[in-house]
Amino acid sequence: MMACLDRQRASAPLQNARLAGVLALALMMLVMTGCASTPRLAESTQQSLPRQTLLEDVPFHGQRDYQCGPASLAMVLNAAGVPVTVDTLIPQVFLPGREGSVQPEMLGTVRRQGRIPFRIDGTLDALLTEIDAGHPVVVMQNLSLPAWPVWHYAVAIGFDRDEKTLTLHSGMEPERLESFKRFDATWARSDRWAFIALPPGELPATGDGRDALDAIADFERAQGARAALPAWEALVARHPDLAMGHFALGNARHAAGDAAGALEAFADAVRADPELAVAWLNLGLLQRDQGSPGEARAALERAAALPGPWQEQAREVLADLTRRTG
Amino acid sequence: MMKKICRYLSPLLIVALVLGSLPVAAAPVTPGSDLITTQDVLNAERSQGDRERIQAILARDDVQEQLVAQGVDPAEVEARVAALSDAEAAQMADQLEQLPAGASVVGALFAVFVILLVTDILGLTNVFPFTR
Repeated sequence: MMACLDRQRASAPLQNARLAGVLALALMMLVMTGCASTPRLAESTQQSLPRQTLLEDVPFHGQRDYQCGPASLAMVLNAAGVPVTVDTLIPQVFLPGREGSVQPEMLGTVRRQGRIPFRIDGTLDALLTEIDAGHPVVVMQNLSLPAWPVWHYAVAIGFDRDEKTLTLHSGMEPERLESFKRFDATWARSDRWAFIALPPGELPATGDGRDALDAIADFERAQGARAALPAWEALVARHPDLAMGHFALGNARHAAGDAAGALEAFADAVRADPELAVAWLNLGLLQRDQGSPGEARAALERAAALPGPWQEQAREVLADLTRRTG
Repeated sequence: MMKKICRYLSPLLIVALVLGSLPVAAAPVTPGSDLITTQDVLNAERSQGDRERIQAILARDDVQEQLVAQGVDPAEVEARVAALSDAEAAQMADQLEQLPAGASVVGALFAVFVILLVTDILGLTNVFPFTR
């Protein structure tokens, strides 16, 4: 009797819970399909891009076991002129304990192979624009749902805007076609992570100068100024207003033993931004070392007059110079 | 037990070693001995002081240890860590376990299989090639 009563009492909330569950499921489906609508391209991208493109000369390497990371890297590195094999890359990027490859090491391995990894914006616009510029793009996808992730790297090599499909070298399948909608749903789960690998001297077709500057500086840290020099030259040619680009070029030229070229680049830097204290400082230091104390003093005075992290050092160098030259 | 002791001991040892070498790392640059590097300027812009730079050095040691623990050939570890940027090394040190590792295999339970099959057919996921 008690049990029956109990059950009767329980049945009303139970029914409510069931109804709520069905509603929640329906809502979840709606939200998920809402998220997975076909992504739209911006008007400007639509006008500048061709209807379809395929980078036919990107070689395909089929992945073995869990090694989509090394395989994807081999494809983009080969396309960027590095004749490296998947077997060479496996010990450089694969993590046996995780049975996969993580994003930071994908970028690091590109640097080890002498190419610069540039992260690109997580938009279909940027992705298609880079492909159109001849740059195959490594994308990270979660092929499954967030609760049971299947992380995967693939290389996007082409698109067809009429069919709304993307062409990817993926897993064991060369030139696999994926609809924009399905691709974007799987790409969105990695926060639309993507990068291209370019030889020093080539720059991405998308993104601003500041992003490129950071990518080149990270490459320079790993590979040295001499290797990064062509990249800095290309950066200032593309973005002549970017004072930090001229500054970085000056440092790279100085490290490569080209003092005259370095002076010129530092002078360009302060011309592009007269407030860039550290460029005045390096200009002054180099002029002093080159035996022109008069010019050095003028530059150092500019550096010492600008507030910031370099002011103190500029004042010390200036005082030191004054002591020595009297 | 031994492992547990090691887990607590090794960070302490690292900190002790780094603190020992701290005066060297934080020593002021002699005025005008060389030019200011691009990386120094970028670090300064990201308001990275000496403390952050020491943490970056620590992070690299930490990542080296973690990579060896993950089964990477010790001969490869140093070059792998050297190729990372400071931010990437810090990210690896903090959250290697949580970072997604691209591998493309699914540990398929049956219920998961059915759900993924449905979502595949809906075009939300892309686990099974035969759904297209």
